[in-house]
Amino acid sequence: MAEQTYTFRIQRNQVVGGGRLESRWQEYQVKVEPNATVLSALEEIKGHQDGSLTFRQSCRSAICGSCAMRISGRTRLACKTHVGIAARDGVVTLAPQANQPVLKDLAIDIGPFFKRIQTIRPFLEDGPETATQVGKTAYDHVNQVSQCIMCGCCYSDCTMAEVSPEYIGPAALAKAFRFVSDPREGKKSDRLRQLSEPHMMWACSRCTMCVHVCPKDVKPMEAIVKLRTRGIAKGYVEGPAQKHALAFHEDIKKSGDLNEFTLMIRTLGLVGTLQETGSALHLLKKGKIPSPFPHQARGIDQVSKVYNLLEQNPLDVETKAPEIVPE
Amino acid sequence: MSLEFAFYPGCAGKQVQKEAEWSARAVCAELGIKLHDMPGATCCGAVSLRETKPAFSLAVAARILSEAEADGRDLATICNTCLQTLSHAHYRFRTEPEILEKINAVNAQAGIRPYGVTNKVRHLLWVVTDMVDQGVLKSKIKKPLNGLRVAPFYGCHSIRPTEIFADKAGEKADHLDRLITLLGGKPVAYDGRDRCCGFHVMLSDPTEMRQMVAKNCLSAKGAGADVMITPCTLCDMAMGAYQGIAEKTVGQSIGLPEMNFAQLLGAAMGIHESKLGIDRLHIDPKPALAARGVL
Ligand code: FES
Repeated sequence: MAEQTYTFRIQRNQVVGGGRLESRWQEYQVKVEPNATVLSALEEIKGHQDGSLTFRQSCRSAICGSCAMRISGRTRLACKTHVGIAARDGVVTLAPQANQPVLKDLAIDIGPFFKRIQTIRPFLEDGPETATQVGKTAYDHVNQVSQCIMCGCCYSDCTMAEVSPEYIGPAALAKAFRFVSDPREGKKSDRLRQLSEPHMMWACSRCTMCVHVCPKDVKPMEAIVKLRTRGIAKGYVEGPAQKHALAFHEDIKKSGDLNEFTLMIRTLGLVGTLQETGSALHLLKKGKIPSPFPHQARGIDQVSKVYNLLEQNPLDVETKAPEIVPE
Repeated sequence: MSLEFAFYPGCAGKQVQKEAEWSARAVCAELGIKLHDMPGATCCGAVSLRETKPAFSLAVAARILSEAEADGRDLATICNTCLQTLSHAHYRFRTEPEILEKINAVNAQAGIRPYGVTNKVRHLLWVVTDMVDQGVLKSKIKKPLNGLRVAPFYGCHSIRPTEIFADKAGEKADHLDRLITLLGGKPVAYDGRDRCCGFHVMLSDPTEMRQMVAKNCLSAKGAGADVMITPCTLCDMAMGAYQGIAEKTVGQSIGLPEMNFAQLLGAAMGIHESKLGIDRLHIDPKPALAARGVL
C-alpha cells in the first residue's frame, strides 16, 4: 500500500503551577502507509519532528497495555490500531485516556486505576469455599476475563466512570469475576457481598462500551451481568438496582408487560418514592405516568408455566469462553 | 415489494412514550409498511431478566420471536433495549444450537411453538433507512428540514456489541445521520452520539443518570444542535422527559428539544403534529421546526 500523508492532531498537556493542567492541540504531518500503527507514527514524530512529545509504549505487540490512548474519540492501543482505520478525512486525533489524571501529553497516571483493581483483592484467598477438586471445564468460565492486560481502555471510555469517580469500573469487575468463578477461591460469597455494595457491580449502566473498546475481547459487561446473577443467587438483593432487576420476572409471568407504575415503589420503597415526588410531578405534566393496569398478553399462562418449569429444573445457559488451544 | 413486520414497540412505547409508537405507525402507514400487532408478546425483560433469571429470559425471547416467525415475519421494534435483548437471544440461538434445543424443549412443555431462527430482529429505523426505497422515501418528504441542525443520539443498545450489530455497530453506525441528511437537515457531530442516556440506572443511581443526560445534551447544544433525535423510546424518556430534572441536578439550563426519529420523520412528511404526539414532549420542538418551515 502506498504511503500517504496524515495529519496527527495531538493533545499536548503540561502540568503547570498548582497542579493545573494546561492543554493545547498541536498538529503534525506524517507520511506512512495506511496499515502502519498509530504507535509507529508517534515514534516517527518523536524521532524526527518533536522530541518533547510524551507517550508510553513498551511491547509494541498488544501485550503490555502501556500504549492505551484516545484515538479519534475512542480509547485504543496505539500499537494495535492502524492509521488508515483511525483517520477521519485524513486526520488522526490523539488524546490521553479519560477519567485518569494526566501527567504529560498522552501519558496518564495509571495509579488510581490499579487502586481500583486492588479493592477487589486480585489474588486467590483460602477460605470455607475453597474447592479441593478442580473440574476439567472450570477454566472455561474465566479464560475470557483472564485475557485482560490492564490497559485501562474500558475504564477510559466507561460512561459511568465519566460521571462517577466512585465507580469501581469495568476492568476491576471483570477481574473480580475471575476470582468469584475460580473453584479454588475460598471467599466467593464474601466477594459477592462486597461487590453488591454501592458503586460496585450494580452501578454499571450496561451501555456495553467496555465490550466495544476492549482490545482483548474480555467483554467486561458480560462478566458484570454474570456477577449480578451470582450475587442475586446468594441473596444479596438489598440495593435499589437489585430490587429493580428482580421486578421484571414477576411482572412478565403475571401479565406480560412491565408494571412501570409500581416499579418505582418496588425499587425505591415508600420513602425513596416520596423523595422522587418532584420528578413524578415533572413527568405528570406531559401525562408520562404509566397505567397501573398493564395490558395482559394473550397466552400468559404459557409464560408462568415456563417460569415454574425452569424453577423446578434449572437450566445452565451461561456463556463460556471457548477453550484456548495453543497454536 | 411489500414490507410487513411483527411490531414490537416495547413497554415504554406502549405506555409513557406512546408518542413514539403513534409516530411509527403514522410514518409506516405513509410508507406502505404494514405493522402487525403481537397479541401474545410479553416484555422482553431487558438485561435485568438476563441477570436474575438467565434461562427464563431466553425462553421469553424465544416465545416472542416465535410468535413473529409463526406468521413468517421479521420483528421490528422502536426500543433499543428490546432490540439488543432480542438480538442477543437471537445471536445465541443462531450460534449455540444446543441452547436453542433445550429452551425449545421447555417451551414446548408449556405449549409454546418452538423457535426455528428463520426470521430476523430489526430496528424500525433500519427498515426506513436500509429497506425502504430511498427514492420513494424522498418523494414523501413534503416539509424538508431546510438545514435544521439535528444531533443524532444513537443509544447504546442499537450499536453495541459489534458481535451482534456488525456493520451497524459503533463508529460504523451512520443510519441516523443518513436519515437526517435525507430529510434536508444537517447532522451535528458531537461527543454524545454514542454515549449512554443512563435510563437503566434512572432509579438506582439517579444523580449519575442525570449527569449523563446533562452532559450529552450540553455537548449537542454546544455543537450547535437545534434538536436531538433518538431511535429509542428509553433514550427519549431520559434525554427528553428527564432533561428538566437533570437541569436541576447540575444547576444549568439546557432546553434542547428531543424527539423520537419517527416524530421528526413524520413532521418532515407533513403528518399532522397531533398524530405525532408532539405536545407530549417536555421541551417543545415546534419553534425550532417552525423556524425552518417544518410544521
Ligand atoms: S505497547 Fe504494549 S500494548 Fe501497546
